[in-house]
Amino acid sequence: MTLVRRYSSELLLVVLIVLAALWSSTLSPYFLNAVNLLSSAQFFVIFALMAFGLFPIVVQGEIDISLASTLAVGSVLFATLSVEGVPLAAALPVVLAVTAALGAVNGLLVAYAGLPSLAVTLGTLGAYRGLAYLLAGDAGVTGITPEYLLLGSSWIGIVPSSVVLALVVAALFAVLMGTTSFGRYSYAIGSSPGASRMAAVPVRRTRVIAYALAGAMAGLAGLVWVSQYQSARGDNADGSILFVLTAVVLGGVSIKGGSGRALGVLLATVLLGTIQTGMKLANVPGTSQTLVIGALLILAIGLPQAVHLVRRRFPTALPRRAVTSGNA
Amino acid sequence: MNGHLRRRRRAVVTVVAAAAGLLLAACSTEAPTAPAAGGGGETQGEDASGDEDMKIFMAPKFTGLAYFEVAREGGERAGEELGIEFEYIGSDKAEATEQIATLTNAIPQAPDALVVSAIDGDAVAPALKQARDAGIKVVTYDADAAVDARDLFVNQLSYELAASTMLDAALLNSPEGGLVAFISASPTAPNHTAHVRIMKELIDTDPKYSSLSYVDTVQFAGDDATKSQELALNLIQANPDLKVIISSSAVSAPAAQQAIINAGKSGEVFATGVALPSSVRDFIKDGHSTAFMMWDPAELGYIATVAAHQLVTGEITAEEGQMIDAGEAGTYEVLADGEVQYNKPLMFTADNIDDFDF
Amino acid sequence: MSTVQDTATATTAPPGLAERLGMTGGAAALRLRFVGVVVFQLLLVVVFTAVAPRFLTWDNAQSILFTAAILAIAAAGQTLVVLTGNLDLSVGSIMGLSAYVVFDVASGAPVLQPWVVLLALLVGVVLGAFNGFLVAVVQIPSIVATLGTLSIYRGFVSFYADATEVTSGELPRWIRTLATESWFGLSSYVWLALGIVLVVGFALRSLPWGRQIYAYGSNPRAAYFYGLGSRRIVIGAYVGAGAIAAVVGLLLGAQVGNINSLLASGIELQVLAAVVIGGVSIWGGSGSVYGAAFGAVVLATINNGLVLLGVQEFYRLLFQGAAIVLAVAVDAMVQRRVQSAGNRRRTLGVTA
Repeated sequence: MTLVRRYSSELLLVVLIVLAALWSSTLSPYFLNAVNLLSSAQFFVIFALMAFGLFPIVVQGEIDISLASTLAVGSVLFATLSVEGVPLAAALPVVLAVTAALGAVNGLLVAYAGLPSLAVTLGTLGAYRGLAYLLAGDAGVTGITPEYLLLGSSWIGIVPSSVVLALVVAALFAVLMGTTSFGRYSYAIGSSPGASRMAAVPVRRTRVIAYALAGAMAGLAGLVWVSQYQSARGDNADGSILFVLTAVVLGGVSIKGGSGRALGVLLATVLLGTIQTGMKLANVPGTSQTLVIGALLILAIGLPQAVHLVRRRFPTALPRRAVTSGNA
Repeated sequence: MNGHLRRRRRAVVTVVAAAAGLLLAACSTEAPTAPAAGGGGETQGEDASGDEDMKIFMAPKFTGLAYFEVAREGGERAGEELGIEFEYIGSDKAEATEQIATLTNAIPQAPDALVVSAIDGDAVAPALKQARDAGIKVVTYDADAAVDARDLFVNQLSYELAASTMLDAALLNSPEGGLVAFISASPTAPNHTAHVRIMKELIDTDPKYSSLSYVDTVQFAGDDATKSQELALNLIQANPDLKVIISSSAVSAPAAQQAIINAGKSGEVFATGVALPSSVRDFIKDGHSTAFMMWDPAELGYIATVAAHQLVTGEITAEEGQMIDAGEAGTYEVLADGEVQYNKPLMFTADNIDDFDF
Repeated sequence: MSTVQDTATATTAPPGLAERLGMTGGAAALRLRFVGVVVFQLLLVVVFTAVAPRFLTWDNAQSILFTAAILAIAAAGQTLVVLTGNLDLSVGSIMGLSAYVVFDVASGAPVLQPWVVLLALLVGVVLGAFNGFLVAVVQIPSIVATLGTLSIYRGFVSFYADATEVTSGELPRWIRTLATESWFGLSSYVWLALGIVLVVGFALRSLPWGRQIYAYGSNPRAAYFYGLGSRRIVIGAYVGAGAIAAVVGLLLGAQVGNINSLLASGIELQVLAAVVIGGVSIWGGSGSVYGAAFGAVVLATINNGLVLLGVQEFYRLLFQGAAIVLAVAVDAMVQRRVQSAGNRRRTLGVTA
């Protein structure tokens, strides 16, 4: 019973995924095909990686809307290094270090200068995008060497390698947030930064680490971008941060901080992917797709909230009232 | 509480990790078994007669823009005449990832051909190649993709002709020539970039345009009306002797003209370039502007769809020198690299603006 | 605009600067924050004047103010919501929806043409109230709720528009001429922006509705214990923001001429940037609409100056991003200074 309660948001997502899959399979006869589904899943790896990067930041009660711009810096850097003939093994640490540094700049401004994260990352959203354009030049970068494309053009069985990468990253983040001190600190900071500071939690350092990690994840997503789309441009992934944020929030990570799990983020990405794939396979017009995603976000967050509120207001109507007011 | 929590998380982690591990262990041979699309295109063996079950999808850069909607009408007309199924697909977000998702999900539906305006010609290339591997013919229109990712590119205007027509329009507005500034869509749109580059070359070299000069820095408005207006105003401030603002974006050109009118500079500065006649009719009729240019997007969509159909039936194979017979819309030759040039620029002036209903 | 602000402070607080600083740290901080943006703007003006010869001309100033007008009004609306510690990401969708739907309806029914502003207000109130309902009653975090309505409102307008445009000829004649009109040497839009910002500023300062927004934003729990209905306040802020967004959508539509379903999409980031540069605290409770409007002028000045210099788009993105971070940093510094100064004075006052 407690297990069900604890994982209620994940359960809701699973139910929604099943419903979405049923709906999609009635929409389109092409939906229920393992190979197609897996190749569609490949498409959402980029968003999933950014979502996992954003996840600890949101748990800490902060936000980073510059990640898509960081991705562009990463993809353009990878592509350029590839064209320059640098082996992938050397390029990978370089790019991850650069993108982690970009993330760390956000983190330093938030944690040490005490600036609001939304404002800071709104600024770096533009600045990093400008940087990506500067690096890429007008034409963008093409002619990527095969070594860099391996991730996007290889399969393990029938599963695309990049999908496996996303699952591994999901597992790593589950471990990171569930078992390490970084994870514990993150939840503590998100619940109450003041109390955490008094309890000798290294608030600032933990914040910077989260931002740097998110930057590195965006860089990794940049590699996946290059490997899948065999090119890079300054405007890569422009506008995708709203989708990423939707995935994180839909995954049950409270935007106020202090709660949420990696499994939820993974399930939310799967849910969004299922719905999008279903609608695209059925050639649902673009406007309806926008409407459905917006409505889904509000319903998935709003309904449990509404139930919770009704329960609190009419405690006698429902026998079980042991709902603790705090987040997890 | 905390330990309890941690144990649960550990459990979840183990499950996820085990799942990932199993996958890796089960089959770690990385053989690129390209995900085969459901059926693939219909065989080329059949000839033009039995086309009832032929399916052609048209994917614009993004939906919701009037220009693409007009092109869609042309495609639909072709579909009706040829008796084939025609579907218009796409997202209303102007993002490359959205178009890639649209194209990827079109493949399992096994259309016989895709007619595409590429939002990022390089990034969509792998998806288009995947489609071609599955036996789907790919025709690009309006904006090309990488050459090896499509069979044909139906180009509305050769870049040279587009550039010279826009300069002609500029001279119609400002017959004595003068300083020209450019507002482009985005630095990554190859057709817009090419237009500006060739216009600069023509001004530098062609005596016909020697009365014109240009501002070297190109500004980008990303097909956004508000941004175009702000840029237009700032360009006027930056260059007091500015005569013409040229944009090959059908959003920017009319928006810039409106900004000029708002600023009370009508008659002193002109905006011109590519625009739908419906969006500039009032400017031309009220005498704020003399000329804008475009082509007939409906006919472009029509020709692209007809070309796609002929590729599927095997009438053409996209080889250089072949002819595409698009009936009333004319006959077009396939040029090098599978390019087909529609090349019928339209100049909208006070004399003919009422003849166009798009 | 700064003179207006000065007279306002003079009437509300007659004593000298030092005493004002000492008396209420919060109010002083608010005032100094506004000074921070002005200083930032002056710096920009000095720099651009030095490097771009044509920058400091009346003609150019007119142009900057005109391009800032729309953003300034939108930022004023956003400020209402930000003051309560929330966000309205759906502002661009409300603007686009209002412009397209209202003008489309009015072009079909000419009797409605004089009343388009009222129609827009109605649209804005309804959409804003829905946002407010989601945030205040259902208690969905505002980022999430308005991220959802951003998609829903935009989806609705593109559904409604079906890829067609409302062309400039279909707009009511009076609003089309309004966009081209100039009063006393400045575009009508600049005066409208000034008027709307002043009215909103006055309402925030003097009406109970406005004072409650400040009270709630600086400490929601305290406001609750004080007996202020938090739901009513938040919904009120969203309704106000929605109404302003809808009206500014009309103005933007008239300015642009040809309206498609994408009008004003993505403008929310610009609006937020203006608000943040203007020194409105993203945590709620402090900042002013005047600052936010000034933030819009700062953004317009940066864009203008860089085009005057012939700078490429890439650098513009970099500069704008850096300006936002810098403005927030300056702001935080001023804030801290004032707070500590206030504390010092208070302790001094106690010991004396």
